[in-house]
Amino acid sequence: MTRWSMVADLRRCVGCQTCTSACKHANATPPLVQWRRVLDIETGEYPDVQRTFVPVGCMHCADPPCMHVCPSTATRQRDDGIVTIDYDLCIGCAYCAVACPYQARYKVDLPRFAFGAKQMRHEAAREMPERLGVAQKCTFCSDRIDYGLENGLTPGVDSEATPACVNSCIADALHFGDADDPSSNVSTLLRENRHFRMHEELGTNPGFHYLWDGDRESLDTATGDAMAADDKTALRGNDTGAYMPGVIPWQQTHWDWRAAGNFIFGGTGSGLLAVLAATAWSGTSPPAWLGLLALAFIGAGLFLVWTEIGRMLRFLHVVLNPQTSWMTREAMIALLVFASGGVAFFNPSLGWMTVAGAFGLLFLYCQGRILHEAKGIPAWREPRIVTLIFGTGLAEGCGLLLMASAALSGTAAMPIAAALLLLIAYRAFAWRRYLRALLDTGAPARTLDILAGLRLWMAGLGAVAPAALILGGAFLPAFAPGLFALAGLTALAAGWLFKFTLVNAASLNQGFAIDHTPARGSGPTGVGVKPGWR
Amino acid sequence: MRKARTENTKDINSYCYQCVAGPDLMKIRVEDGVATEINPNFAAAEVHPAGGKVCVKAYGLIQKTYNPNRILTPMKRTNPKKGRHVDPGFVPISWDEALDTVAGEMRTAREKGVTDTSGYPRLAASFGGGGTPTAYMGTLPAFLGAWGPVDMSFGSGQGVKCYHSEHLYGELWHRAFTVAPDTPLCEYLVSFGANVEASGGVCGVKRHADARVRGMKRVQIEPHLSVTGACSAEWVPIRPKTDAAYMYVMLHEAARERLDIDYLKHRTSAPYLIAPNGYFLRDPETRKPLMWDSRGGGAVPFDCPDGDPMLDGAATASGIEVGPDDIVWKHDGVECRTAFQHLVEHVAPYTPEWAAEICDVPVDSPRRVATEFLDHARIGETIVIDGEVMPLRPVAVALGKTVNNGWGGYQCCWARTLMACLVGSLETPGGVLGTTVRLNRPAGDRWQSVKPGPDGFMEYPMNPTGKNSWVSRPPARSAHRTLVPLAANSAWSQALGPTHLAWMMQNENFDHMPDATPPDIWLVYRTNPVISFWDTDAVGEAVANFPFTVCFAYTNDETNHMADILLPDCTDLEGMQLIRIGGTKYIEQYWDYQGFALRNPASPPQGEAKDFTWIATQLAERVELLQEYNAMINRGAAGVGLSGDGYDFSLDETKAHDVETIWDASCRAASAELTDGAATDGLDYFQEHGFRVQDFSRRHWYLYPEIVRQGLRFEMPYQEQLLRIGKQLGERLHEQGIDWWDSQIAEYQPLPPWEDLPGLWETALEKKYNVSIDDYPFWLVTSRSMQYAWGGNVGIQMIKEVADNVAGHGGIIMNPAAARKLDLADGDLVEIKSPVNATQGKVVLRQGIRPDTLLMIGQFDHWATPLAKDFKVPSMNALMPMMLELTDATGSSADLVKVSARKLEGAA
Repeated sequence: MTRWSMVADLRRCVGCQTCTSACKHANATPPLVQWRRVLDIETGEYPDVQRTFVPVGCMHCADPPCMHVCPSTATRQRDDGIVTIDYDLCIGCAYCAVACPYQARYKVDLPRFAFGAKQMRHEAAREMPERLGVAQKCTFCSDRIDYGLENGLTPGVDSEATPACVNSCIADALHFGDADDPSSNVSTLLRENRHFRMHEELGTNPGFHYLWDGDRESLDTATGDAMAADDKTALRGNDTGAYMPGVIPWQQTHWDWRAAGNFIFGGTGSGLLAVLAATAWSGTSPPAWLGLLALAFIGAGLFLVWTEIGRMLRFLHVVLNPQTSWMTREAMIALLVFASGGVAFFNPSLGWMTVAGAFGLLFLYCQGRILHEAKGIPAWREPRIVTLIFGTGLAEGCGLLLMASAALSGTAAMPIAAALLLLIAYRAFAWRRYLRALLDTGAPARTLDILAGLRLWMAGLGAVAPAALILGGAFLPAFAPGLFALAGLTALAAGWLFKFTLVNAASLNQGFAIDHTPARGSGPTGVGVKPGWR
Repeated sequence: MRKARTENTKDINSYCYQCVAGPDLMKIRVEDGVATEINPNFAAAEVHPAGGKVCVKAYGLIQKTYNPNRILTPMKRTNPKKGRHVDPGFVPISWDEALDTVAGEMRTAREKGVTDTSGYPRLAASFGGGGTPTAYMGTLPAFLGAWGPVDMSFGSGQGVKCYHSEHLYGELWHRAFTVAPDTPLCEYLVSFGANVEASGGVCGVKRHADARVRGMKRVQIEPHLSVTGACSAEWVPIRPKTDAAYMYVMLHEAARERLDIDYLKHRTSAPYLIAPNGYFLRDPETRKPLMWDSRGGGAVPFDCPDGDPMLDGAATASGIEVGPDDIVWKHDGVECRTAFQHLVEHVAPYTPEWAAEICDVPVDSPRRVATEFLDHARIGETIVIDGEVMPLRPVAVALGKTVNNGWGGYQCCWARTLMACLVGSLETPGGVLGTTVRLNRPAGDRWQSVKPGPDGFMEYPMNPTGKNSWVSRPPARSAHRTLVPLAANSAWSQALGPTHLAWMMQNENFDHMPDATPPDIWLVYRTNPVISFWDTDAVGEAVANFPFTVCFAYTNDETNHMADILLPDCTDLEGMQLIRIGGTKYIEQYWDYQGFALRNPASPPQGEAKDFTWIATQLAERVELLQEYNAMINRGAAGVGLSGDGYDFSLDETKAHDVETIWDASCRAASAELTDGAATDGLDYFQEHGFRVQDFSRRHWYLYPEIVRQGLRFEMPYQEQLLRIGKQLGERLHEQGIDWWDSQIAEYQPLPPWEDLPGLWETALEKKYNVSIDDYPFWLVTSRSMQYAWGGNVGIQMIKEVADNVAGHGGIIMNPAAARKLDLADGDLVEIKSPVNATQGKVVLRQGIRPDTLLMIGQFDHWATPLAKDFKVPSMNALMPMMLELTDATGSSADLVKVSARKLEGAA
């Protein structure tokens, strides 16, 4: 097999950005799109300071999260390991962009020129409308590789078959070749030097290696990776106050309030659908329009997210990857939800309501899994997000039902209030477990700060207030309708606040990290750093 | 050629010489007539030290060519008033009108005489980029040569943005206008602020990367952690402007330890006897300096073939001493210490403990670095290079800008060169090399520039200071020949005087100097002194008073805002030119080959832009200098003489020739020169191949073999010549009533002592501006940006985009601890104020800077240049005073000023 891989020698790199520029030329990327770029990472505190220049871009992972989440199968992997994007299939949902822990993917919706509206001649000559509204990233210059192979050239050795960034590197810091070929240039470099891969703990098996020292003698493992696993998990941020934009995790911008709207409305709607089914099993029959309301909520959420995708007319491509994409699965389940929900509306039998409720639960689960599979966002990928999303969706749905029921039937809503009491307890439990897990595994400091800021709201608005209101309603029946409605509203509001915050404020990306600072000449190596993490 | 996207795709050969660390070779991909990509020229990988690669700046050339903000027609000013806040009212005109207007002014000036009533040239010209514009200005040098005297002394950054003191002292001591370590062999490098990773070009970056992986240790000593510091084995955050103290400790330690005795005895003046008045003891008959022969027990001339010169100690000897203005003292049996003995006593007080406090570094640091330097020096070892046995001394000291500029530059350059001499690493493999010659002649070959002087050293073309030979009336406004003997008198010399003097004189008269006059005509190309000099407000005011300014203009900028005529020339990808490559050039551009490369147009000129050679020819014709202009081209003013042994491609001097004809003749002459006349290929060959070279022996990287061949010595450690000419210069100036250069005169000392350089800055600012320096607690320094330096590319979006990936480009770098004291957070808007001026920008917090230091990278603060004027990024230039008090004897000052920082309301 062939595994095309990049090797960056951190001992050599000077951060000049020649590779960044060469990539922009070779691939005609628009302003502010950098498939290849070099980070400037500072570690330590004055006067013991290190500064490391780290080339980054698509790591062409062997297990690429971007590919797994892609609902349209636009992102694929070639046999030689190169991860590709089919611009004609991509719907521009940017799920891949939030799934990538290396911030390697871009989406540009409108033509963008270096000098504003004035398109220059070379920009016109290299215009690529097929890239608008879809995901784009480093291709390892696969066109050069393919051309080279067709002409008997060796990628990484012959310049015409080698990625532009490697060709341009003035420090000879970048190398390219077949890591599966033990005699290749990159295999030799990896064998003879100490190296690491970024964020290896995420299990993506990246095809981008960083050399940091040349001492082969003290390598710990046969793979040449000198850092013990314990050390890696211990890799944490250092808050030195240093300015490192583009290095320290920053708020993702691929999914905005419209995506949050899908989790808010979709979660509440599907939760409501499930709760309605449960209510039917308890022998009561809530008004049928509540089922319609649930479907409307889910529909509104999907509509919002549809407005966010770059290629809206290609939305049907969303169903092309049921094998691995939870977005595809959510879309498919959504169809079943609407179908069964519609039938249940016209034929409100316990059976159909159960089916609709079950699909609502599945839809809700899909939403949790969608976030969990977004490996690029630490606050989302935490496994316990699934139960939290699931729990809050049910609590929101139940809260909504309680609001409606209280208004319609007053104290008769007591069982629903009791159910809500259980659900907010479950949500509070899930929230606490989720936060604890994030603190244990580490997360961007800003993410933790924002979520910490939510604790009071989640406790007060999401648990204490609805619980107190429900108990108040139980002990003061005269006020029960109002108190129950208010309890439902607070439970709902807390869930919405949480999801809006989760998607639009706490969703800082992974940022970048290095396992070691490199040796410069005969100088020492240093400990790694994960800037902006806690 | 790799796969083409269109059928009509080709790769054009060219070069990039946007910065002094070039030239480098590249290819430009052209698709359907549009230049789309810059690529390395791998066909040059064998001959180019960096494998045929070009740096990030070259990649900006595509946008540079098609930039919609370009000026694409000649323009004339319609508003006679000039100033920053005055609309120039530029309107498009035809080339005929533009050239006739310029030529008319030139003819008028010639009719009045090429020099004005003060004796200054009526025509002035400023070119930026450390001489690199000559690689783009085609045959303009031939036009200027045909014209006659031209004042090139209106600096655009010279003296403060260059390696000024190094240029002058380097040329004196080892034909080293620029100095570099022999990086391919060096094993231990002490770098005082030399930012080679940003300013050493692709050759520097490649070589140092190779050296790092090889295990070379580089200790970077500087107040902030630059890109180069980042790539070094060790960073020593030294207090600004105290580098000399650190180096003196190294001298102190080295002088007590391991020395290359043989090198010192035979290749330096260390054994010369110093007579009581401080000058060499000389043989009364021959006037040759004397040494004490330990073997024979007597004083012998320096070139005595036998004997064993005494290195340290003193001897009683007789002879004469020749002082200033040929004063002769006769000595009979006086005790004379050797120059080396003087040195030992001179550096004795400079202990690590002494320096630690001055430099604010641990006591151990300079001592350990000195010891490691000596450990790596390999004294006694040799290496064979191209059949020549030479000492192998893989240790070097490198100096950066600000370290070798202004006061302290003498100490630093001297200490660096001397440190190399002590271990035998000056101009030997692995050691300290000069890489280009600009003041001595011939400029093309360092070996040929080595000519024996009377005292056993290389002859140096000092500007005369004798009673009858001193140039009392400056031929240029920087007064380089009058004030700076070391500046010599080459084509580069004007720009190596105190160029700020030329600007200062526009606003104030200097006693007993000719009346300050503006030039009748000022030509400006690839420079923007209203941004790039010091005290940019004052420079802007001076420029606004120039009567007729012609700018070869790329876009609007702050200098051509004051112009009368704007001429759009072809940019780098549009014009044609043949230049010399290889041999030994700036910084780390020392090659194993030398030859020529062609800049071949990759794109038709945009708009009405014209090839520079066409413009020069048109001017020559319209100013009626065509014959002289063609003669200059024939003589080599365009880069290569058109005739030689067995070939003659001279142009008909009576005709105006088109661009291709001129460069075809140059290509043919270049082919002939490289092949001893065997080949005469012209433009076609160079268009196809891009370059043509011949071998350049690596022996020529080192001056040592030629020094040995001619039996010469390096003029180290004792500066007897400087002592004498300093005295003479003082006499001459005083005879003319000039006393405002006295402090500079005082710098001519045979062994420069440490002075309180930070204190000198502080005192000068306090006195001049009547402020308390305590109110300005920070040192403000600057640092080069590889992405921008010399490139004239601040208006190019892609450069801005990628440069922003490198921390600090967007604001003022400050240590977080210092920021906390001022209640500043990252991104806060601050006012930075010096006694001269104030600017503002946002705070960028980084740990890699001393808490008492602020850093502003590059030179921004634009207010007219499209794109750049919206950066809102500050520059230190506006905060820098032009002051004689801060000008050293070579006419330079340093990028250094004291400032305060104050939080401003509002987000940055």
